[in-house]
Amino acid sequence: MTAPFLVVGAGPTGLGCAAELATIHPVELIDRIPVPGGEAGWSAPEVTALVRDARRAGVRFRLGNSAVRWEPGRLLIAGPGRIGWLPGERLFYAGGLRPATAADLFITGDRPAGVLPATVAQHLLIAQNRLWDRLAIIGDGPWASVVAGHARAGGSTVIAITQGCDPPAWADEVTTEAARIAIVGRARVSAVRVCVRQQWADIACDGVVLAASPQPNRNVTGALCEESPGVTFVQPVGATSVAERSEIGRNAARGWIAVNGGAR
Amino acid sequence: MAGQPQFDVVIVGGGVLGAAVAARLGRTSVRAALVEAATDLAEGASKGNAGVAVSYYGPPGTQQTQLINASNPGWETLTGRLDVPFRRLGGLMVALDADEEHRLAETLAEVDACGVRGQLLTARQVRDMEPLVSDNAVAGLLLPDEGIIDPMRLTIAFARLAAANGVSIRLGERVLAIEHDGDLSSVTTSRARLCTRFVVNAAGVQADHVSALAGGETLPTWPRKGQYVVLDRAFGEKLTKIVFSTHTPRTKGSNVVPTTHGSVLLGPTALDVQDRDDRATDPETVAWILEKARRLVPAVADAYVIKTFAANRPAGDETHRLRIDAEQPRMLHVTDRSAGVSISAAAAELAVELLNAAGLDACDRDGALDALPRVPRLRTSPDPVALTDADPLYGQVICACEHVTAAEVNAALAGPVAATSVDGVRKRTGASYGRCQGSLCLAGISFLTAMSTGTGPVSVRQTARGTVGP
Repeated sequence: MTAPFLVVGAGPTGLGCAAELATIHPVELIDRIPVPGGEAGWSAPEVTALVRDARRAGVRFRLGNSAVRWEPGRLLIAGPGRIGWLPGERLFYAGGLRPATAADLFITGDRPAGVLPATVAQHLLIAQNRLWDRLAIIGDGPWASVVAGHARAGGSTVIAITQGCDPPAWADEVTTEAARIAIVGRARVSAVRVCVRQQWADIACDGVVLAASPQPNRNVTGALCEESPGVTFVQPVGATSVAERSEIGRNAARGWIAVNGGAR
Repeated sequence: MAGQPQFDVVIVGGGVLGAAVAARLGRTSVRAALVEAATDLAEGASKGNAGVAVSYYGPPGTQQTQLINASNPGWETLTGRLDVPFRRLGGLMVALDADEEHRLAETLAEVDACGVRGQLLTARQVRDMEPLVSDNAVAGLLLPDEGIIDPMRLTIAFARLAAANGVSIRLGERVLAIEHDGDLSSVTTSRARLCTRFVVNAAGVQADHVSALAGGETLPTWPRKGQYVVLDRAFGEKLTKIVFSTHTPRTKGSNVVPTTHGSVLLGPTALDVQDRDDRATDPETVAWILEKARRLVPAVADAYVIKTFAANRPAGDETHRLRIDAEQPRMLHVTDRSAGVSISAAAAELAVELLNAAGLDACDRDGALDALPRVPRLRTSPDPVALTDADPLYGQVICACEHVTAAEVNAALAGPVAATSVDGVRKRTGASYGRCQGSLCLAGISFLTAMSTGTGPVSVRQTARGTVGP
């Protein structure tokens, strides 16, 4: 009996992947949040159905544990009051997506306070009605409309700044085709400087949210790059619906089983 | 002016040199205070540098070289006592053509004259030592005693030790005036008036202003901006040596430097600017830094870039200044343009000697602390499983990329010189240094910081200077 497969990430992708892998081998499913569902949320009906399927397939849930360090054969996990090594035959990493950082977007300029990743802004806006008077949202990733909705509901004017051509529907003011973007501000952010068709202009604001193209999270030591031994990454960047993501997770598992699973 | 001085020494400036002098004075009989305008330590050049504890800087025969030589052998001991990350990786200076090979030989002669270890390497030896170095390398110079250090943790640790020994660390206090009356000086800050016998000017890029306030020498000082590029740990895991280009007459060239956090720093550039507060990066310079780095280490790819930043080092008519002012016999200048970290240990010793020679009478006292309690780190712990025995909060990972736990964040928010901003937590723990730049952890850290500082999620300081919300 070899060690179980370990799936990190209990969002739709990880749930689909874990359920499929469990048809041939024991599976343990790990997530840093104590509930399944990831960004899709634990209470969505599609998520509860996926959780039920995974449980029926025999997946063992280890929620509320952060994956820290992978060495082929074992994974270090940290959870409330306990840190331990979990034996694992292989790591399937479905650790989800994050907004592109300033570096990902080649944003230069100052590094003042008041510039936040969209995921963080979302947290703050849910806890607090009004944060900014004029909020610039850079990018049109999946978080952008959510953050914009919260901010506008709280009375903020929302400015969209995107590198593409299509004006987003969620903003009060829009700047598209921003070829270059720089942050302006000393203590706090005061403007976003954009270059559109060779022309630079400052767009005044008192907060900036980075909400552009989703990037895969990579945060387990020993599982940082594609060539990391013993690791399969399952992080669909373009998929949006829960069904689509869980299917990609299932397909990744099926693909791996087709190549490696027969002998097991 | 009141007759009795509160302090024997007031240090102006909370960079690595000011903090090192404070830590040294804390172990003596004198009463000292450190005044810093920013709300945290290491907010100037001590924040924005490559994190190299150099063995060689050159030229030979200078006070700066003596202080580097005196500091260098002690880094393992000192950083062990202060719980500061340090690794003696060794540096590899790489020549890419015949001209540079010639310069390498000149550099080796200077390295020898400085009394520093150095060894010429063939192209093959260079690549055996660091396989990531370019195939175009024709020769190398190994400097085995170069180390990497966390300059912010070093600065904060110096200040923490000083505070633990009774030095008053006064953050967020700007010095407005310095007046003299006989043997006493009065340092007026934005919050208080401090009566002292001696003033130490460790104000870095503001050293000229402080000297002028005190009626001291004119110290021509200007900001020399350096831009940096940070690469992800996915790249850092592969690099084992500090890689330098050969020196040019103007700068020490470009560097590819592993950091103690596992990332890699590229840079810095060197551009004299007017505005001491100008810390902006620009796309042309960032592209240039990447290009320069790729000449040395071709595997440097844009996809590894996780951050760019800039800082200003204190350039001046002297690259190094550690002496009593010519006009004011009770003021000591302690500034270094680029080697502040590398000289800090010995510079603090010399500073106290010079102050004593000027009449301070500082004597080492029994019972002074010379070490700080170690805060174990989940990311680097050799025995992570045991951590929760000491504190169950080690099981609660806050920063997913750097694996910083609630126990480590709480340690940064407590004790002397505690963090009072999200950036302050970052400097003390490494939280949000990683690839996602805080996407997953900044909310949690700002909540913990807000709770610790009695602010809220909007009014909490994100940096030393600015809040999350307006």
